[in-house]
Amino acid sequence: MKYEPLNLGRWLIWSAAALLFVAAPHLFPGGFALTMLTQMGTLILLALSYNMLLGQGGMLSFGHAVYSGLGAYVTVHVLNLIGKGSFYVPVPLLPLVGGAAGLAFGVLFGYVTTKRAGTTFALISLGIGEMVFACVLMFPGFFGGEAGISTNRVVGKPFLGLSFGPAIQVYYLVAVWCFLGMAAMFALTQTPLGRMANAVRDNPERAEFVGYNTRHVRFLQLVLSSFFAGVSGALSCINFEIVSAENVSAIRSGGVLLATFIGGVPFFFGPVIGAIVFIFFVVALSGFTKAWLLYLGLFFVLMVVYAPGGIASLILMQFPVIRAGRWRELALPYALAALAALLALAGVIGLVEMVYRLSEQGASTVLTVLGVSFDARSAPPWFAFAVVLAAGLAALRVAARRVDERWGAIQLELQAKAA
Amino acid sequence: MKNAIALREVHKSFGTTKIIGGVSLEIREGERHAIIGPNGAGKSTLFNLISGRYEVSAGRILLHDADITNLRPFEINRKGLSRSFQVTNIFHNMSVYENVRCGVLWSAGYRYSFWHRVGGLRDVRRRAEEVMERIGLARRRNALAGTLTYAEQRALEIGVTIAGGASVVLLDEPTSGMSRTETAQVVELIRSVTEGRTLVMVEHDMGVVFGLADRISVLVYGEVLATGTPEEIRANPAVQEAYLGPLHKKAPHA
Repeated sequence: MKYEPLNLGRWLIWSAAALLFVAAPHLFPGGFALTMLTQMGTLILLALSYNMLLGQGGMLSFGHAVYSGLGAYVTVHVLNLIGKGSFYVPVPLLPLVGGAAGLAFGVLFGYVTTKRAGTTFALISLGIGEMVFACVLMFPGFFGGEAGISTNRVVGKPFLGLSFGPAIQVYYLVAVWCFLGMAAMFALTQTPLGRMANAVRDNPERAEFVGYNTRHVRFLQLVLSSFFAGVSGALSCINFEIVSAENVSAIRSGGVLLATFIGGVPFFFGPVIGAIVFIFFVVALSGFTKAWLLYLGLFFVLMVVYAPGGIASLILMQFPVIRAGRWRELALPYALAALAALLALAGVIGLVEMVYRLSEQGASTVLTVLGVSFDARSAPPWFAFAVVLAAGLAALRVAARRVDERWGAIQLELQAKAA
Repeated sequence: MKNAIALREVHKSFGTTKIIGGVSLEIREGERHAIIGPNGAGKSTLFNLISGRYEVSAGRILLHDADITNLRPFEINRKGLSRSFQVTNIFHNMSVYENVRCGVLWSAGYRYSFWHRVGGLRDVRRRAEEVMERIGLARRRNALAGTLTYAEQRALEIGVTIAGGASVVLLDEPTSGMSRTETAQVVELIRSVTEGRTLVMVEHDMGVVFGLADRISVLVYGEVLATGTPEEIRANPAVQEAYLGPLHKKAPHA
C-alpha cells in the first residue's frame, strides 16, 4: 500500500477558510454585518464543539449551553477582576480561561452524563441543563440573577496596540480563535480517540470487545468538547460584555442543536454552515419580523424530514454530478422547484404575518406588500395567500418529481459507468 | 500443560431459567477447541460469560490462571482474549481498513490518545494491512463494511477479532450461513490466523469441527456431556445418544 498522498484539497479548503475569515469584514462592510460575522464566529465554534458530541460521538445533548455559559460566567468575573487591577491576563488570552472553565465543568458534569449513552444521556444532559439554569438564578451573588453580570472589555494596557474597544478588533479576535478552534477540532477527529468516538457511536458493543471502555471514550470526548464550548462562551462574553442566565438556558442549548442539525451532523464542516444560517435567522430575520422563530422552526422541521444530513449533505450530493458534467441537466428542474418553493413560501409568509399582526395588541392590521396595502381583518388577503400557498405546493410537487426523475436517471447512469 | 481458559462450576440463570448449570471446562494453551451441542444448549451463552458480555450467576472463570470472573468486556480483551460474534458485529459505517484499525489501536498502546495523528501511526497501519492481507480483504480496503458481501463481512468479523493479537480467540459460528466453498476458505483462514494461539469456537458444521479441532466439548442442556479428542467424541456412546441422536449409529463425518 502507498503512503497517503498529500491532501491538496484539504490544504485548499483550510487556506480558503482562513482567507474568508480575513476578508469577510471587507466583503460585507458595515456595522450590522460585522455584528453578525462576530456572532457567527462564536456560534461556529460552539456548533462544532457540539458536533463533537452529536455527530462524532453519537451523544444527543440538550444541555450544551451549560459549558459555554459557565465558561462565559467565569470569563466575565476574570475580566472584571482585571478591570479592578487585581491581576492581569491579556484579553486575547481570555478564551483560554473560558475554555479551562468549560473543561472543568465538563469533567464534573460529564462524569455523570456519560455514564450512559443514547436516550439516557440525552435526558441526563437535559436535567443538568435545567439544574444549572436554576442554580444561576439561585445564586445571584455570583451569577447576577436575571440581569446577569456586565463588564467592560477595554481593560488594562492595550495588547500589542489593540484595546479591543472597536468591534472590528473583536471580530478578528473571534476569527483567530474560531479558526484555531476549527483546526484543533478537525485535528481531533484524526486521532485514536476521535476515531474510537466514531466507533462507539456506530457500535458501542463491538468497541468494548476491542478493548475500549465506551464510557471513558464518551467522557473524554465530552470534556474536550466542553473546552471549545468554553472558548466560545468567553468570546461571546467579550463581544457582548454581558453574561446572563440566558447563556446557560435550554433555549441556548436548543439553538446550538438546531444550528448543528441544519448545517449537517454527518460532516465536519456541516455545523459551520448551520451556524451561519442560524445567525441569519436570529440576527437578520428577527429585525424584519416577529415571526422569525416560527420560520426557523419550520425550516428546522423541513430539514429534519427532507434532508436529515443537513445543508452540507445537499451540497455534497451535487459534487459527483458536477464532476461528471451532468449538472446542466438538473439546472432547469432545480430552478423550477426553487420557483415553486418561493411561491409556497410567499403564501406561508403572508398568512403568518397576518396572524402575527392580528395577535399583537395595538399593532396596525394593515400590511403593505409590493406597494399593495391590505387589511388582515378582511377576508380577501387570507383567501389570496391561501391560493398562493396551495398553488405553490402543487407546483412544488410536480417540480420535485421532475428533479427526482432526472436525479435518479443520472445516478443510475453514473453507477453503470462506475461498474 | 497450562490452561488458557478454565471454567470452574460456572452457572448462569436468567430469572428462574437456568441456561448454564455448573460447567467446568479446561482449554489448554495453543489448542483448537470446539464447543458443539444442539440448539439452545447454551453455547453462545457460555461465550458471552467467558468474554464478559454477561455476568455469571455463580462460579469462576480463569484466563491464563488469572481470575476474570465478571470483568467487563474491555478488561477481558485487554488481558488477551478476543471474540467474534454469531451475528456479524462490525462497524458498518467505516471502511474495511478503519474496522481493522479499531481492532489494532488499543493493543498497539494508543488507547485514548488525542495527541497522535492516527494516519501517521506506521505500526498501526502495518499491522492493519497485514491483517487485511490475511483475511483476503486487502483489495477492499476502502469499501464501507456495510457494503461488503456476507462472506466478506464474516471475514472482516474475524479480522477485527484477531487484529489486536489476542492470545485467546473465541469464534462464534464463524461459518454460519456460508456456502461449501466459502466454508472451506474460512476454515483455512481460521487455521492460519490462529496459528500459535488458543482457539475456542462454537460451530454447527461437523466437517469444520472435526477438521479443525484438537479437542471437542459437547454441551447439552447447559452441561458438559463430554470433552475429548475428535476420535473420543466420535466413539462416545453418551454423545451419540444425547446429541447425535439414536439414529446416528455411525460416527459423524464431513
